[in-house]
Formats: sequence, C-alpha cells, structure tokens
Amino acid sequence: KIISSNIKCQWEAVGHQTEAVPTNYTLKLSSTSFFSDKIFTASILGPVNNTTIDLNFFPNHMELEIWVVAQNELGKEESEHLIKPANCFVKTKPPSVAVISEAVFPTCLVMNWTSINKIYLETIYEIRFCPLGSQKWFYVPLADTSSYIQSFRLQNLQPDTVYVTQVRCKYNKKHCGYWSDWSSNVTERTPEDLPKSKPDVWIITSEEGINKRQIEFICKDPEFSNGRIRRFNITIEKQKDSIRNGTWEIIPVNRSLTDGSSSKKQITPLITILLDDEESVTVYVTAINSVGASPQAKLIISPKTRGKCPLEKMEVQSHNGQLFLSWKPPNRTVSDFEYVVEWVSDGERNWQREDGKTTYTAIKGDLEKFVHYRISVYPIYGKLVGKPVHVHAYFEQGVPSQGPSVNLSGDPGCYTAKLEWDEIPLIKRRGFITNYTIYYRSGTETRGITVPSNTTSYTLTSLSRNTKYDIWIKASTIRGSVNGSNHSFTTLKYAPGEIEGIVVGVSLGFLFVVLMTMLLCFCKKDVIKDNFWPQIPNPGDSTIGNWSPDYPLKAEAPRENCLSGISVLNVDVCDAKCVFEEDKASLPLKKDKYLSEEHSSGIGGSSCMSSPRQSVSDSDEGGDMADTTASTIQYSSVVASSGYKGQNPSSLPQQSIFSRSESTQPLLDCEENHDTMVQEGSRQCFLRQPCFTHNAGNENATDSNDFNPLEMEQQEVLDFCSLEEDTEHTAPADCQSDDWIPAPVSSYMPQLGGYRPQ
Amino acid sequence: LIGSAQFACDTERRMNGHVKNMHFQQFMETAATLLSLLLLMTVDSTKTVAASTNQQCGNLLQQTLKITRIVHKESGDLIKTYKAAQGEMSELFCKVSVNDIPDPNISGLDPPARIASIYTHLQAFLPHFKRVYKQQTDLQSPGSPLLKELTRVWDRTESLASFINTFYQSLFPNLPIPEPAGGPTTLPPAQNVFQQKVYGCVVLKTYKDFMSNVSKELRNIKSKVCTKRTPINAF
Repeated sequence: KIISSNIKCQWEAVGHQTEAVPTNYTLKLSSTSFFSDKIFTASILGPVNNTTIDLNFFPNHMELEIWVVAQNELGKEESEHLIKPANCFVKTKPPSVAVISEAVFPTCLVMNWTSINKIYLETIYEIRFCPLGSQKWFYVPLADTSSYIQSFRLQNLQPDTVYVTQVRCKYNKKHCGYWSDWSSNVTERTPEDLPKSKPDVWIITSEEGINKRQIEFICKDPEFSNGRIRRFNITIEKQKDSIRNGTWEIIPVNRSLTDGSSSKKQITPLITILLDDEESVTVYVTAINSVGASPQAKLIISPKTRGKCPLEKMEVQSHNGQLFLSWKPPNRTVSDFEYVVEWVSDGERNWQREDGKTTYTAIKGDLEKFVHYRISVYPIYGKLVGKPVHVHAYFEQGVPSQGPSVNLSGDPGCYTAKLEWDEIPLIKRRGFITNYTIYYRSGTETRGITVPSNTTSYTLTSLSRNTKYDIWIKASTIRGSVNGSNHSFTTLKYAPGEIEGIVVGVSLGFLFVVLMTMLLCFCKKDVIKDNFWPQIPNPGDSTIGNWSPDYPLKAEAPRENCLSGISVLNVDVCDAKCVFEEDKASLPLKKDKYLSEEHSSGIGGSSCMSSPRQSVSDSDEGGDMADTTASTIQYSSVVASSGYKGQNPSSLPQQSIFSRSESTQPLLDCEENHDTMVQEGSRQCFLRQPCFTHNAGNENATDSNDFNPLEMEQQEVLDFCSLEEDTEHTAPADCQSDDWIPAPVSSYMPQLGGYRPQ
Repeated sequence: LIGSAQFACDTERRMNGHVKNMHFQQFMETAATLLSLLLLMTVDSTKTVAASTNQQCGNLLQQTLKITRIVHKESGDLIKTYKAAQGEMSELFCKVSVNDIPDPNISGLDPPARIASIYTHLQAFLPHFKRVYKQQTDLQSPGSPLLKELTRVWDRTESLASFINTFYQSLFPNLPIPEPAGGPTTLPPAQNVFQQKVYGCVVLKTYKDFMSNVSKELRNIKSKVCTKRTPINAF
C-alpha cells in the first residue's frame, strides 16, 4: 500500500462573493526540502472551494507548504500557508482486520490487521469492541495502541460470547494527521470455559391428593455459563434417612446454539417428585458444558407444616415501565438469607433472586401488558424455602377484550328474572374488574344496576309481566369498560302457579257450588222431587176407591185408546217394586228390558224413596188427599160401573162414582212438556213407571211375544193420552189415533181428566 | 580559567610586600573574575546550542534515512515489477554484466566525503533511470504499472538527491558538494531489445544495491556527524 500522490485541498471563501465578479482560486504547493523552488499549482474557478494537486509521488517525510491564492478583477489575496510534514496531510484507509480465538485463552481474542507500510507512514491505532447485539462499545486505551503495531490481544472477555471488533489508524504524530474510518465489523466467538456460577434451581409446587404435594424442579443456566449447557446433573436426598442416598441423574438439555446476545435465560425442567407434606428433601444440581461442571447448587424443601413465618405487607406498583415490589422482611433471618421473587402468568413462569437485605425491587423480566401475573416472594433461609406471600398484579391494565355472557338462571317469572354470568377468562380480562353493570331494556327504557366485581348472579325485580327484555352486562376496569353479549327473554304472562290457582279456585268454587247445590237438592229433595218427578201411581198397584169429584164431571165416553179399562190400584211405591218383583216372577217379562226401563227411567229409585202412602181410594173420608198422598199423583180415573174390566165405553153412567187410583208414581215428562207434546201433534202413549214395562219408544212394543198378556192388558188399560196437568183436559187430537206412537223414553202423556194433585 | 587564576596568583605573589599600585591590582582581580564568568557562560551556551543542533541534525538525518528506506523498498518492488513485465528468462537478465553502470558502493573516507558520494551516485543514476524509462515505454503498454513505478522511483530519487544535498549543506556549510566526477554520465550505446531488457534490469538491481548501502551508511554516520563538536547552522 502506498499513499496517493493526489493531495486534495479545501478552503472557505471569506467575505461577500458575487457571480458578477468571479474569483479564481489557485492552490499552490511547494517543498524546499526536495523540490527546490518548484511550485505545484492547481486552479479552479469559484464558487468551488476545493481542488486536487497531483505530485506524481507522495513526498513522505518531507515538509510541504500549501496555500491558496484568490484572485479576481479587483485584486488578489493569499491564504495562510500551511507548513507541515507531508504525512500530516494523510488520511489513511482503515486497516484490514482479522480476529482469531485461542482455545487455551477463553477470555481472549487476538486481532491482526494490515495497514500502510511503516516506512511510508508510521501509524497509531484505536481499537473498540462490543458483544454482538449490544450498542455499547468498549474502547482499548489509546496508550496501549499508540505505536506501529499489527496485532492486539483483547483480554478479560466473556467466554463463549461473540464480539464485534473495529480498528482505525492515524499518522503517529501529535496534532498531525487524520484518523481513518473504522474498519468493517469483524466478529468472533470466544472459546468456552468452565461455568463460573451455580445453576439457578427453583420449584413448582402443586397439591396432589391428601397430605401429598407434587414438586417439579426447574432450572436456569448459570449466570456465567461460559458455554452452552449440555446437561444438568441432579441428585435428590431425602432427609428422613439422614444419610445421603441420592444418585445423580443426568438431565440432557436439548437446546440450539444460542449467541451471547440473548438475555432471556431458558428454563429447563429437571425432575418431578411426589412428596409427603411431612417430608423434606435436599436437591443438588450442577450444570455441565463442553469444558466441565459448574459449582453445585443446593435447595432444601421443608415439610409443609413447618413453614416459617411469611412476609408481610407486600405491595406492587407499576412505575416508569417497571413493576416494583416492596415487602416487610421477616423478624428472623439467618446469615445465608435471600429472597426469590417469582412471577407467573398463563403459560409463563420466571423468577429472580434478591439479596437478603432487599425489601424493594423491580421485576427484571420482560412483563407483558394486560397480562395477569401472580407474584410471589419466597424467603430462603440458608437454601431452605420458606412460606411465600402472594399478590396479583398487572404490569399495565387495559379494557377487557370481551364482556361477560349473561344467561337466565331457570325460567323468568312475571316480575323477576334471575341472571347469571361467568367471569371473563383471565386471558381476556386484561385488568382487575372493578364492577359489573347490568343493563336491561324494554322498549325504549334502559336501566342499569351496578354490582360488585365478585358477583356472578343477580335477580332482577320489578319487571313487567309478558314483556320482552334485552339484557347485557358491562364489565369495567380502571381503564375502561366493555359490554357483553345481549340476551333476550320475555317475562311470563301468568305466574307458574297462577293458572293452576285460578283453575283450582274455579274448580273449588264450582265444586263448592255443586256441593251446595247437591246439599240444597238433598235438603229440598222432596220439593224437587215433587216438582220434577211427581209420583205417578202404578195402576198395577192401585186399588179401586171411591172418589167423589168436587165438580161434576162429564161422563165421557171412554175412548178406545184412552183411559179405558183402567184399574185403580193402591200401591206403595216400594211395594210397587215388590209387586213388580212378584210380577216379575209371574210375568214372563224380559228381564233385561224391564230392568232397562226401570233403569232408564231412573225414577224407580226416587220413587222408592218416597214414603208409602195410602191411595185415595182407601180413604173414604176423603180428607185431604194431598196430605195423605202428598207424593202420590193420581194418574188414572176409573169410571165406576160394573167393573173396570171390559167396560163398555158406550154406556155413560148418569152419576158416576169415580174411583181414582193413586199412585206414588212420579209424573211423567210429558206432563211437564205438555205444550211440546201438543205441538208435535202426536199422541204419545206410554207408561212411565218403575214397575211397569215402559213401552214408550220401545221398539219391541209391537213384539207381543215378549209380553205377558196381563201386561199387555195393562198396557191397554193404561193407555192414555197426555194432558196438561192444570188445564182442562182435552185430549189431543192425536190421541184419537188408534196407533201406539213410540214416545221418548222419559216422557209420557199426562192423564186425561181432572185430578187433583196430591 | 585555571590559567587566568594562576596568572592572578603569580601577580599577587610578586606584589607581596610591595604595595605599589593597589587599585590597579584590585581592578585586575575584578576583571579576571568577570572574565571567568563570561567564559563560563559562553561555554554553557555553546553546549545548549550544540544540544539543539544535535537534535536538529538527528532529525534531519532521521528524515533522510526514512526517505532512503522508502526508495530502497520501492526499488526492490520495482525490480519485481520489471522482471514480471519482461517475460521469460527475466531472472537471468539481472545476472548479466553491463558496462557504464554507476558503482553501487559509496566512496570516501570521512563523513563529508561519503555523504557527497551518496549525492553524486544519486545524480549519476538519474540519466540511467531516464533511459530505462524511455526504453520500456517502447516495450510496454502505455498503462503498464512498470512505467508508473519507474516514474515514481525516478522522482523519488531526484527528491532524495535534493534532500541529501540539503542535508550536506546543513552539516558542512563551508564544504561545497562535489559534482559527479568525470563529467556527465556516460550511457551505453544503442541496444537491441534484449540488451535493453538486460540493461534495465542491471540498472535497477544496481540501484537497489546502492540504496541498501546508503541506508547502512546513514545509520553509521549518525553518531559521527550529529555531535557537539560539529556546529550546524540553524536549518
């Protein structure tokens, strides 16, 4: 390498310059020591203020005189003359650097470089270096490099660390020459060395059943690993045997080669054990790199119940981009006393050790914003882990990323609704929840209720029935709030038991009414019976009695199909039944039909309930027929003549003595519905009595085979037309009909002729 | 000082017992004392001047030595470049003997003569450099590095000769530096290409040897020329 023969000179024009009067600058260079009187020049026109002179060779070690002459139309001016050795005008190029490491010197790097030959320019150097990734340069003292050297040994470096190095040079004369630029970066890694510090051993404790705990031992590389840790050796010693019985277990480390710029140490899980709460163990760990083993680390896990007194008054504060902790130290300590500050978040765990005199520190790890941390401080009494104190904290709080989802608990009522919601997941909470605000909206009206943060359910009251409500919950932190998802529900129109209550009430009321009615009916059954089911005497049970009517009666010619051949019977209702039964035995009746009629009429029962009474015919005194036969109703009259059988209707007695039959038979329906019967215009001739065959509507009425001739005769005899009860009895025209017209089961034609209701 | 002191004592002995002119005697004593003091001061100042002069001599000599080393090194580089530019058998060119090439040895018995010899030899080599440059201009391409190096060595030789001249005159201001003996340098007659190549190699090799001798010489004469007994004018 030689020095260029071109010398570049730069000057600064002084005073006002104008383009109207251009200035010509002439650079002049001479050296009396070797060029005799020769002067080298180079001219240039202003306003350019630099130019170059080529000397064919650079006059090393010779003194030069350099000046500039400015000349324009107005005059000429010379600058000051720079008289210096030629080497003082040299700015060298940076040296070419090479760095090598030596295995036997793990804390050293040897730098070699080449620069300009010493015979041309004797140079001095300046060296700087820094760990890769660091922005802080370390400068070698100039005194150590102020001579013409071509190599230098950097010392007191960290083993297994990559360093960046640079060199620059200058003419070795005070106040003379220009420093070159820094050489390009050259990196080299120092060799590995023995680890100089212990590995940092810690534990993760979790409950495992009753009186047992699971302890996982984890470890960070030693602070001065001096190389890549390839494995950890661990041995566990249980104290109960009071002898060292642990065997060394090797835990390999699978980790890629990391450079020295990484400040975050990786955590290696070592081993997990189960330990009784009463047990105590001691753990010894060493870290191994390519050169050898580190000093041994020791940790004692004490029995759970014999934990020392915990720390007090632990506080956390975020300040200046760091999280600071403070606590009150315990009353008793030992000589080898320190603290372990641990911070745990979802998926991350780290710790740092603090001196025993520290009560205020900052967490040195990289904490993330909006992440929940559980921070613990453990006192370590001579390697023995004490009881910790915990606190929850956020490095920086924010607004939750999602709100709580609210749901109904059960079904809503008419006026109330129970809400419940889950806490926001920790990962999305981003801060401490200060309170929840429950909003519910119906229509355009929105209301809000604020509840404490430890609440997860709430019952809304004073709601309107059958109304749709939209609800949502807002969760708030000190940074802000976020609304949760909406949920809608509609309150009930009726309360759950309301309808049943109404139904039950109505039913009870109805039942009460029914009961009362029944009771009334029972109490007034006679009245009712008399009104609804008048007793119709059974002609079969009647006896002929003499009855003198109160008014003259016309003798009517008995009609063929009317009351002819009617026999008056005195029959007790109940006896009628017995008679019926006797007849039943004697009369070849269809039992089923008979019984069916009896059942269908439904009258037999009621009629049976009536007290036996005497027929009118039996009582000559007359008396008050109504009293004695209060429940009997006369339904037939007998024309007293030569007998009722086979009477000849054509003969009309001038004075008739009527025998009236009395019966306790109730009134037939047609007596009640006399108008209907008349309007229909049909004569309905039937019998309605419990003890007699009911042939109204009986299809089998025409089947004479099934009937007893006596019965048939009775039927003939008892064939009569229905008449109104209290009116003049006129036979409906229809009764003239000779045919039996089937009548409804429950109705009959009231008897013709007058009778006095009993 | 001793002599003057002795003289004063003798005079005083002769005057013992006889007080003829006491005032004159006192005056003479005072004068002698003053004279002694002046003499001391003069000697002392001479030492200082000599010391600073020695330093300047040394610096100048050092400077000359540095330049000589540069020229020596460049002459060695030049030979390599020259041989590389001459093609095959270039190693043999420098072994051939050529006449009329300056002697690489320095002549003279004392330092002034030897410094003068250095100067004259440098001057003697300059015409040969010029001829070699001219011949190689015909043999090499215009942009050949050989030509550039030749020019540089040539110019540096000129500057060295001028520097030596200045150094000589500063050391020996009253001794004119002699010019090369025998008039202008005698150059060989016209040569063919081969002869030119040989000639150039021999010139450069001889020059390199000469520069080596100059370096040695300058290192040797430092203690001889840069001393207190050798006054040097301020440079």
